[in-house]
Amino acid sequence: MTRRELLRLTLMTGAMSALGGSASLDVLVHAADEEYEGPLSSIKTGGLIRPPGALQERAFRAKCISCGVCVNVCHAMRYDAIAVAPFSSPFGKGGLRGLLDFGSPYIKDMRDFPCALCMECPKQCPAGALVSVEKEKVTMGMALIDFSLCFGWNGDVCLSCSKACPIGGKVFDFYNGEWGNQPYINERCVGCGLCVRYCPLGGSAIKVVTKRQYEAVKAAYTGDFKKLREMSGEARYNIVYGQNLPQIMARGRLVEREYR
Amino acid sequence: MSIDKQDAGYGTPNPEKKQRTGLPLSRLRRFVLLGIIVLFILQFVRVKILVGGLTGSLAVWFVTLIDIFAYADGLVSSRDFGMTALVSVLPVALIYLVFGRAFCGWVCPMDFLYELVGRMKNRSKKSELSSQRKGNISPKIGYGLAAAFLLISGLLEVPFFTNYLSHLTNFFRLLTGGVFFGMNLPVDRSVIIFSGSIIAGLLVLEFFFPRLWCRVFCPVGKTYGLFNKISLIRLSFAEGQCGECNLCDHMCYMKVKIARHIDETGLRDINCIYCGRCIDGCSTKGKLIKMRLWR
Ligand code: SF4
Ligand code: SF4
Ligand code: SF4
Ligand code: SF4
Repeated sequence: MTRRELLRLTLMTGAMSALGGSASLDVLVHAADEEYEGPLSSIKTGGLIRPPGALQERAFRAKCISCGVCVNVCHAMRYDAIAVAPFSSPFGKGGLRGLLDFGSPYIKDMRDFPCALCMECPKQCPAGALVSVEKEKVTMGMALIDFSLCFGWNGDVCLSCSKACPIGGKVFDFYNGEWGNQPYINERCVGCGLCVRYCPLGGSAIKVVTKRQYEAVKAAYTGDFKKLREMSGEARYNIVYGQNLPQIMARGRLVEREYR
Repeated sequence: MSIDKQDAGYGTPNPEKKQRTGLPLSRLRRFVLLGIIVLFILQFVRVKILVGGLTGSLAVWFVTLIDIFAYADGLVSSRDFGMTALVSVLPVALIYLVFGRAFCGWVCPMDFLYELVGRMKNRSKKSELSSQRKGNISPKIGYGLAAAFLLISGLLEVPFFTNYLSHLTNFFRLLTGGVFFGMNLPVDRSVIIFSGSIIAGLLVLEFFFPRLWCRVFCPVGKTYGLFNKISLIRLSFAEGQCGECNLCDHMCYMKVKIARHIDETGLRDINCIYCGRCIDGCSTKGKLIKMRLWR
């Protein structure tokens, strides 16, 4: 290789890394600016939500060859739930984990494109990174209702989530009472996100987190739930009318799916 | 495809003009390549004949396929012989046990893109042969590089080359990403930009160093190159017609030395991609060199 060729090669490498750099910059620039915080914004998703039937995270990442079959199978099934993980993970930590996750499939936004649990992608993954399982045994994540945003917990009748859930009968517990038709999602939830999609609240009142993240926040979440159940009528009234309903009304104006 | 073969007989170009008129085998392999790409594009309108990409795909919603280097990559990173992946790689291995490195000449989209880059360049430079530099980088480097990639995959526990650098993965990631972006389906822009820059980088490399990637670096091609040693396909030569013009050697952009093997029964060079340019280029109008699956 002559010196001139070497120079060219160096320049090219430079240009390529610059382009790569701009890719990560792009992520920063386009990190969605939403008018309202999502449900349970204090709880992180805890990593990427994988398609159903994925192996344990580490084994999955090692096995998945980023072929895109699952992405396109999901598209062919008309669900379009799966996207390719971005160059740098937007879920907090990012860093090396984000870089290693790049290229692998994940469910990008359940508010628009949840997984319908058609179970085609695990059947078709050529690398065996996704393996066929029964619908009820899927462990994509765990759906958590934000009780401060849910219509049902704030004096209304809704239950859209439980109607949307493909395994609703087993997953939903109901606490119907004077404060509304109050739904609660138990641990049999598989995390498909259909409930997220069909929640009528602007931006949804439900958030799906990874199973591992759920284990981490479980104590706090169920603690809050218990507190809410035992709250006196007056305190509940103040919270519902003082804090929750104004938030709910504001989000009700979210007609456009601005967060897409 | 059969129509195209008939085309080959019709109006065979005379040697002087052969670079201007469409070359039969070159045209046939473009039909094969574009056919495959079109089938992959049809997946976006839910035609389920070829789904996925050339790293891994699903044929007729039934047969799963994995590229051989990608299989090795996944094997090293996961350290797990899964039956699923094995079942997916076997049909591919069978195909290329017959056709050797023909993948590079007949299926790989980069081959086509590189040809376009070459044409763009030659429009200003006139002569095709002028792009043939003296290459002094040994193609053997590629095997070392492939081994290094596998080592990194093992350390990172991520199929390193296949996920980040592969032209195949990134080509189809870019294609899917672009289409999804246009259709307002979930896709992250950084994915499009990343894959776009990898492909653009490869095209720039091609502009300055024609086929350096294929000949020296590409681990996917190198893997299929190993198949050349045991595959059925070969170049075979008819006896005693060679005018020793060396046009075949000039035409070959993989720099296979063909002319010096003319006296042998067959040639199965590790770099040969069975594109057929030597056959089309030969001054005997394709009578001397032939592609054969036996002898
Ligand atoms: S089909 Fe399997 S190997 Fe391919 S991208 Fe999806 S999970 Fe990964
Ligand atoms: S199971 Fe879910 S993610 Fe997989 S193809 Fe069906 S809808 Fe898409
Ligand atoms: S509760 Fe929601 S996320 Fe959980 S299984 Fe039902 S629809 Fe899916
Ligand atoms: S769909 Fe949303 S608002 Fe309705 S009950 Fe379920 S969580 Fe509450």
